[in-house]
Amino acid sequence: MRGVKILERALAALPIMLGVCIVVFLFMRLLPGDPVDIMLGEASNVTQEEIDALRSQFNLDDPLHVQLASYLMRVLKGDLGYSISRSSNVGKLLLEALPATVELALAAILIALAVAVPLGIITAVKHKSLIDRSSMACSFLGISMPAFWLGIVLILIFSVHLKWLPTSGRATYGLVPSHVTGFYVLDSILTGNLPALKDSLRHLVLPSIALGAAPAAVITRIIRSSMLETLRKDYVTYARAKGVAEWAVIIKHAFRNALIPAVTVTGLEIGGLLGGNMVVETIFGWPGMGRLVVDGIFSRDYSLVQGAVMVYGLTFVTVNLIADILYTWLNPKLVVGEKV
Amino acid sequence: MTHMRNLQRSVVLVPVAILALALFVGVSGCAPKEPAVTGETLSIVIDCEANRKDEAEAVASQLRNIGIQAEARTWEWSAMKAEFMEGNRQLYMTDWGSSYFDPFDLAIPKLATGERGNYSFYSNPEVDDLLSQATSATDDETRKALYFEVQDIIYKDCPWVFGYCLEETAAASTKVGGWRVSMDSRINLHDVTVEGTGTIKIGLGIDKIVTMDPGNYRDRDTETVIRNVFDALVTRTWDGEVIPEIAESWETPDPTTYVFKIREGIKFHNGEALDADDVVFTFERILQENGIGGQTSPRLGLLGPLASVVKNDDYTVTFTLENPFPVFPQALCHFQIVPKDYVTEVGDAGFAEKPVGAGPFMFKEGRLDDQVVLTRFEDYYGGAPDLPPVGPARIDTVVFRMMPDPATRVAALKAGEIHIADKLPPDMADSLSGDPNAKVESVPGTRTYGIEFCLTKPPFDDVKVRQALNHAIDWDTIIATIYGGKATRLSTAFIPSGFGYNHDLKPYEYDPAKAVELLREAGFNVSLPTE
Repeated sequence: MRGVKILERALAALPIMLGVCIVVFLFMRLLPGDPVDIMLGEASNVTQEEIDALRSQFNLDDPLHVQLASYLMRVLKGDLGYSISRSSNVGKLLLEALPATVELALAAILIALAVAVPLGIITAVKHKSLIDRSSMACSFLGISMPAFWLGIVLILIFSVHLKWLPTSGRATYGLVPSHVTGFYVLDSILTGNLPALKDSLRHLVLPSIALGAAPAAVITRIIRSSMLETLRKDYVTYARAKGVAEWAVIIKHAFRNALIPAVTVTGLEIGGLLGGNMVVETIFGWPGMGRLVVDGIFSRDYSLVQGAVMVYGLTFVTVNLIADILYTWLNPKLVVGEKV
Repeated sequence: MTHMRNLQRSVVLVPVAILALALFVGVSGCAPKEPAVTGETLSIVIDCEANRKDEAEAVASQLRNIGIQAEARTWEWSAMKAEFMEGNRQLYMTDWGSSYFDPFDLAIPKLATGERGNYSFYSNPEVDDLLSQATSATDDETRKALYFEVQDIIYKDCPWVFGYCLEETAAASTKVGGWRVSMDSRINLHDVTVEGTGTIKIGLGIDKIVTMDPGNYRDRDTETVIRNVFDALVTRTWDGEVIPEIAESWETPDPTTYVFKIREGIKFHNGEALDADDVVFTFERILQENGIGGQTSPRLGLLGPLASVVKNDDYTVTFTLENPFPVFPQALCHFQIVPKDYVTEVGDAGFAEKPVGAGPFMFKEGRLDDQVVLTRFEDYYGGAPDLPPVGPARIDTVVFRMMPDPATRVAALKAGEIHIADKLPPDMADSLSGDPNAKVESVPGTRTYGIEFCLTKPPFDDVKVRQALNHAIDWDTIIATIYGGKATRLSTAFIPSGFGYNHDLKPYEYDPAKAVELLREAGFNVSLPTE
């Protein structure tokens, strides 16, 4: 039964994806600016014929509905088009950038959870204590600090002054693991390349802290408030009255039930992170989706932006589906697809 | 009950308020885009991109100082361009670079009638005629005289508020030897050494390079990397003079014919010998429609009137032009020679993936938006004999890293992770000036920055208003405070590093009194600054 529901949800994603595809296609064309004009930059000596030839080469001179139809047909065949600004296949560009972004997003969310879960629980259990107040102050800071500022400060402290970690990039030259999946950490494990593993992890630390700080703060607050609420519930008092050990009350009875709102927020945060963060990627010279897309928008690289937004759409739909499945695992009374 | 009534009232009032607000915003947003010449007050909006916001604010404040209503507005470039090309804007900050060290790719696109870069819609038949004569004149003295005449005319016509030319600034570790900042954004690593290591790492101020195929790009950043892997027939000295590189010499029997003698014994990285066939192939794939991977090369326009390239013998090639084009040798510095047999064998996509050139370094590996690694080519023929040192490169590995954020490039240089930090804004360069391990260098740039008028509509169809604005802006202060003094004021749209620049023509003086006088003559209500 659950399998059928999941399949239904997955199928429901198809019209969403089609909608995303059409909306992005039209919105990109609403933007002022012409991709061919941008590509030619300051080229002098360009005749109108040359410009027209380039426009026709990229099918930009067809009526909009013809362009849209041919784009949808190509997408159905698995061809995301050609990127004008990078002279390359969009599919190839996305496949290159996606592992970098996903790797960074996962590292950031791991750091965020590693901080948020214990801190959320402790601050709720030790409500109004010094640790609670100082953690809440920190989480306030975490939410308010802009990523570009935090990124630069981290680089100045840990790279320039202490020289512990590299300033930027994904790997040091010579220590790039052989390509298997495109995820450097995974690839270095798969190829048994220890120095590369160490190097990739070192490169991951600062950008994932810069990226994970805000989600860590948000999730800490959510876990704390939802734990506070659960800890006051009758079944918790009952469990205590039964003589269950305090740690078991907190983890087994309170925490599991307090997790549902945290899963929702974490799912949304992961969805956002997987889109790539242009600011963090720019500061840390991280070759991911954020930079790719923002650059694509500035160059009016229609195919590139359309392809990337489709990936975003797919990511969000998948992450939401996973969150839904997690709810039913956390609370078997719920059914996949029902609102929590 | 009262509660209920209050609620009802607010249910009605809130949408009304929202509607009124929306109307207000809508009306103010749709205000006529034409210059608002209300009464006798001159009212101006200065449009700019985010990187020149401070400058635009400073200009606006100086204009307000003489009673002009001025404000600055920040735009995204393409959106702004779409608007001003429709004639919907008044005054817009723009810039334009020259690659040929010649007004050919600066004055012509910016000032000739109907040209691509002529954003001010300037049109003066006399200037058009002089520029066209200068393009095809074969004698340098004549060309210079023609360009001087153009400068005199545009100085008086003022199609822009003439601005400045920003210096190119970069920094390197003190361990780096033989390094210089080049005017044309080239990072020549052939001559460079690094104390204690054979590897040099360069932080480029860009997101990505476009390709490793010398026939398929249009931007300077890509060329920065490509020119270390590929050589061209000719190259430039640090002063911009064209000298032979792969070519041994060249002759111009008549103004439309160039005969190049190719140096013998040059090898590509795969061992293939470089000869006339490779040179002809290099240019043919650019000239030919759909010549690279089924698409026409974006470099085609840069070749000007080149009609054909023909092999005379194994080491001689003749280029024939449709009409005289004296900057042709300058243009050739930007066309790197590719190996015919290899490209034919692996295809255009395969070539871009694993490029093979005849330059000092071989492509080893890399991703265009991350890092590109090159290694020394031991059989390098040595490069231009007129540009010592000649011989194989002195370092064995080059790593180009894409580091779009300037603060990160500076941090990486300080941390010793990179040896050269390219493209530094003035404030970043300042932060390195006290560092004993870094040296900062600047050279005059090849890019002109100014503010263009929309000449087709009032008030800027009146030359007096344009001249007034040229007198009203205190560029020296702006350059000193915003750009750390790292810019040169320009008298017109020509740049000092380019051919035919008239050094005797002095920039418009900052003279608010003169500006006020001119504006009053044009019928505007302005006043002298009170201080």
